[in-house]
Amino acid sequence: MAYDKILVVGGGISGITAAVEAAEMEYDVYLIEKEPSLGGRVAQLRYYFPKLCPPTCGLEMNYRRLKTNPRIDVYTMATVKNISGGPGNYKVTLEIAPRYVNENCTACGECEKVCQGERESSFDFGLAKTKAIYLPHPMAFPLRYVLDKEALAEGDLERIMEACKYNAIDPDMQPQTLELEVGAIIWATGWKPYDATKLDNLGYSRFANVITNMEMERLASPNGPTGGKILRPSDQTEPKTVAFVQCAGSRDENHLPYCSYICCLASLKQSLYLAEQNPEAEAYIFYIDIRTPGRYEKFLKRAQEEARINFIKGKVAKIEEDPETKDLIVTAEDTLSGKRVNQRVNMVVLATGMQPSLAVEGVPGVAVDENGFVKLSEGMYACGCARMPLDVMTSNETATAAALKAIQTIVRG
Amino acid sequence: MARIEPEVRIVDEIRAAGGDTIKKCYQCATCATVCPLSQDDLPFPRKQMLMGQWGLKERLLSDPSLWLCHQCGDCTVYCPRGAKPGDVLGALRNMAVRELSEFKFLWTFYNKPWGLPIIFVIALFFIVLSLSFFAGGVPGFFSWDLIPSLGVEEVHILFLKLSSTVLAVDAVFLPLAAFVVIMAAIGINRLWNGMCQTAGIPAAYRLGFGAVVSSYLVPAIKEILAHSRFLQCGANQWRATGHRMLLWSFIILAFVTAVVFIAADVFGFHTPWPLYNPIKILANIGAILLLYGVISVIVNRLRAAAEGKVTSAYQDWFLIYLILAVGVTGLLTELLRLAHNTFYPGMYALHLTTVFMLFLSVPYSKFAHLIYRTTAYVFDLYVKDVRAQMAQEVVEEGVGTPEEEGESETPEAAEASEEAQAS
Repeated sequence: MAYDKILVVGGGISGITAAVEAAEMEYDVYLIEKEPSLGGRVAQLRYYFPKLCPPTCGLEMNYRRLKTNPRIDVYTMATVKNISGGPGNYKVTLEIAPRYVNENCTACGECEKVCQGERESSFDFGLAKTKAIYLPHPMAFPLRYVLDKEALAEGDLERIMEACKYNAIDPDMQPQTLELEVGAIIWATGWKPYDATKLDNLGYSRFANVITNMEMERLASPNGPTGGKILRPSDQTEPKTVAFVQCAGSRDENHLPYCSYICCLASLKQSLYLAEQNPEAEAYIFYIDIRTPGRYEKFLKRAQEEARINFIKGKVAKIEEDPETKDLIVTAEDTLSGKRVNQRVNMVVLATGMQPSLAVEGVPGVAVDENGFVKLSEGMYACGCARMPLDVMTSNETATAAALKAIQTIVRG
Repeated sequence: MARIEPEVRIVDEIRAAGGDTIKKCYQCATCATVCPLSQDDLPFPRKQMLMGQWGLKERLLSDPSLWLCHQCGDCTVYCPRGAKPGDVLGALRNMAVRELSEFKFLWTFYNKPWGLPIIFVIALFFIVLSLSFFAGGVPGFFSWDLIPSLGVEEVHILFLKLSSTVLAVDAVFLPLAAFVVIMAAIGINRLWNGMCQTAGIPAAYRLGFGAVVSSYLVPAIKEILAHSRFLQCGANQWRATGHRMLLWSFIILAFVTAVVFIAADVFGFHTPWPLYNPIKILANIGAILLLYGVISVIVNRLRAAAEGKVTSAYQDWFLIYLILAVGVTGLLTELLRLAHNTFYPGMYALHLTTVFMLFLSVPYSKFAHLIYRTTAYVFDLYVKDVRAQMAQEVVEEGVGTPEEEGESETPEAAEASEEAQAS
């Protein structure tokens, strides 16, 4: 007898959408997420496409759909350990890492106040720190703290347990193993920013003021490390000139051979962030081709009108730092004039591409292509950036499509 | 608006010559930025890749950038498309040598594997003929006295007293040297005119041969001797050492050859000279440097190939192994002579054959980079000066009155045309 439940792996915008779409068609869904909270990459953005909405917009609406639908079981801090069986009757083994904070937590934040140990915030790409006990992000779902035991300082545990009025801290929590029986699996495992340290000629991690586009999102985000003010890392001053390096890792046989779809738009969008904060700020976008797929062409026009953008057709292949000012000298050949440009800027944003998460950390039992994108098969579907590099809108469309395909597998038995 | 007529035939030619990856280039210009020798005003090799894709042969082959590249392979390593610009430029240089040369069939013999035996037979023919003519054959191998009267110990021409072997060598190599010099001059002249035309140097700034040589050749040669550009390629430092050693060995060997030529042929100090003779010592140092240099070039090339930086074509290996053959046969000749071995004359004839092949290859093989890269260096220094002068003039024009402007331009133009006439 076939199982009639659906497993959705990954709780970003695609996974949430797939889960609620299937559940609203009255199918039971398990939605699992590796991180302590749902939200994924969208939660990290300042604005997202197509309408430049803040992430609260799309996430809150979907969280409400999740909360009000009894057919969805959400597991966070959960990873897939094993998959057996086939379409219609998969057995999936999950491991759930201990959170050390139970359901009693109301996210009152008293524990955080007394905690002294700190950890690097992975949500902020290391641009900020959190306490050892922390809320994953302001839009966390479940809205519950999580404890990183390794980061605790001496005496922290006693202090936070005392501060918690709800008896929510449970330092003896153990990893759990769970066996799920599902008829179909939807992979919504999303993407990771390509590791910019692999681009050895662009100086990331060597030069303080070379950042990635996702770090730029955090700097511009009101809940980010700078409270939404774009400040360059070396001296926390406002950059007046910013170079955007397109195709940092994308369209490159040595890195990601495909176009990451959204980076050109992301840099245009981030030029608007700059203009929003300082109308005098100059953006220099170094590109091979400006790719604004489909109707996004309109966005290029808008960015050109609203921000001071200098377009230079030529890929940046060298970045040097002025050790005095920590400014950067960005070199590219302007292929339209045929001369080499050495542009001095206050900050550089690498438009790093999207690498499917499964390319970085594989999951047993799922077939991926040579770049790590999920290969579709009967019973196993993929949506969002696990399938191909996409924007949020199209990710959601593929999520709805994947939900339908999963239902078809179950209905056919 | 200039109309571009893509020449598909030329593209195929480039691909056949070893630039088979040229069509992969999508013009991101990573290459022109990572290249340590590429210049801000005239970056390369991105443009050359595009010209190649369009088949603009004339412009490509008269482009000094082709010769300013030392093929370190950085562009190839960082190229996001696997278009291997370094290898494409190598192929283009090979094509340029053909275009610039006269008697193109010789280029073909030098650059196709099947031409190797032909070149060898040509060289052997002249050497054996000359030895038979003047020295009665190759002792120990065959004796073929073409003109018995000439098969004497010493020949007297005017005040010169030439041994028969020396006469045999001179009879081949003096005309050969003259031929090579003329061919090289033709090639250099074509390259220079092409470069001036492509760079669009105004007539007022064109210089005569004398002026170019006196102002720019010396600094260019200084750069070459120091390998200063070659060493700018960070990736190339290990390669430059072997190459520089080879260059210096050629200089030493050319010097001792000149000394021996004057001393033996003109003043009658017959060779072989004893091993303690300073010139002989220098010659042996040159020979060892040559062997060491060429072997390190081989090792380094294999290493670069393993790192995916450089793909070696037949033409690359041909030159390297020919130099190795010259070195090995030369050294063996000396050793066999010292050992009084009967194979000595035969080995000497073989050595002369390889030297003949190497000499003749100057305008035709990859060895042509010796003359054309030097020409490009000279042109590069010259064109930088011209650009600086023109920029200066623009500045002067900007501040000066129209009358002054007219005056300032005339003397320079007059000077240039004077020089052109003088040459």
